[in-house]
Amino acid sequence: MISFNRSQVIGAEFPDADTIRFNGIQEDHIYGMEVQMEVRIADGEILKVDGNMKRYTNFVCPQAVPVLQTAIGNSLRDEGWESKIMKEIGRKGCEHFAEIIIECGHCLDQAVRSRDLSLALEKDPGLDQHQFLQNWSISP
Amino acid sequence: MILRFLRNKLVEVEPRPDGNLSVSWRLTDDLLKVDVQMIIQVPDMEILEAEAKMDRFVPQGCESASVLIKRIEGINIGSGLRKIVGGILGGADGCSILVNAVLESANAVILHFTRPGIQMGEAVTDADQKLAGLQAMLQSSPRLVRSCISFQDESPIMQGLNL
Repeated sequence: MISFNRSQVIGAEFPDADTIRFNGIQEDHIYGMEVQMEVRIADGEILKVDGNMKRYTNFVCPQAVPVLQTAIGNSLRDEGWESKIMKEIGRKGCEHFAEIIIECGHCLDQAVRSRDLSLALEKDPGLDQHQFLQNWSISP
Repeated sequence: MILRFLRNKLVEVEPRPDGNLSVSWRLTDDLLKVDVQMIIQVPDMEILEAEAKMDRFVPQGCESASVLIKRIEGINIGSGLRKIVGGILGGADGCSILVNAVLESANAVILHFTRPGIQMGEAVTDADQKLAGLQAMLQSSPRLVRSCISFQDESPIMQGLNL
């Protein structure tokens, strides 16, 4: 029998050409959290963030929700951004919120690459996808 | 607005008949599919076996994932793991996906051991007893002190504790 199970689901929308909106969910046997976050694609700066704590372990945990706002202005492309998020959002707030933000950060380039490949395939269904991704870079 | 990208990740811990733990870590998104399996020896927490498979558009540095992952066999889950795994699998030419897979699997193993204590604490309904239970947990697990807002010095849970 499974004794511990955690799922993370990260979805990405593109409300405009230079903004990505993440919806991140983390559910496990102990915790249940959600984060919505908008990020500027060009420099990875967090523009907007909101969170919902659905399942937690003690009465102090919900005080971590407003701490999420300190993530605004941080860049998901800066050197050491993961440690900074874990320190500022995780230690001063909630580690599980930080884990979701970090996973959104891991998805940033992957989601843009995916969008660009999808758009390119609409124009050219026979496109060499491996070649496209090998040559892919963030548009200036 | 429809999603243009979706990533699903799942980590599962399952005790084996021999007392060891089997950990399965999987990732699937529009461009990538990863499967990492590990066996952890209990109680010394040594990674006995590790296997990895990657599919779809495999990132640079991860092409030999099934070979790379073997490097973590023999490592113990414990303090310094982040640095050790980062050193073995990460870096500029490394595979950050495997680093994350191993660290998240190790975290899931720790939460496998944490879950029964939290479950027992839920049976306590008296607020003072609940607080005393949290304080006892902190005293027995000092690594949790200042690890999150609940265990910072200003938290009511920390009051009266000299940690």
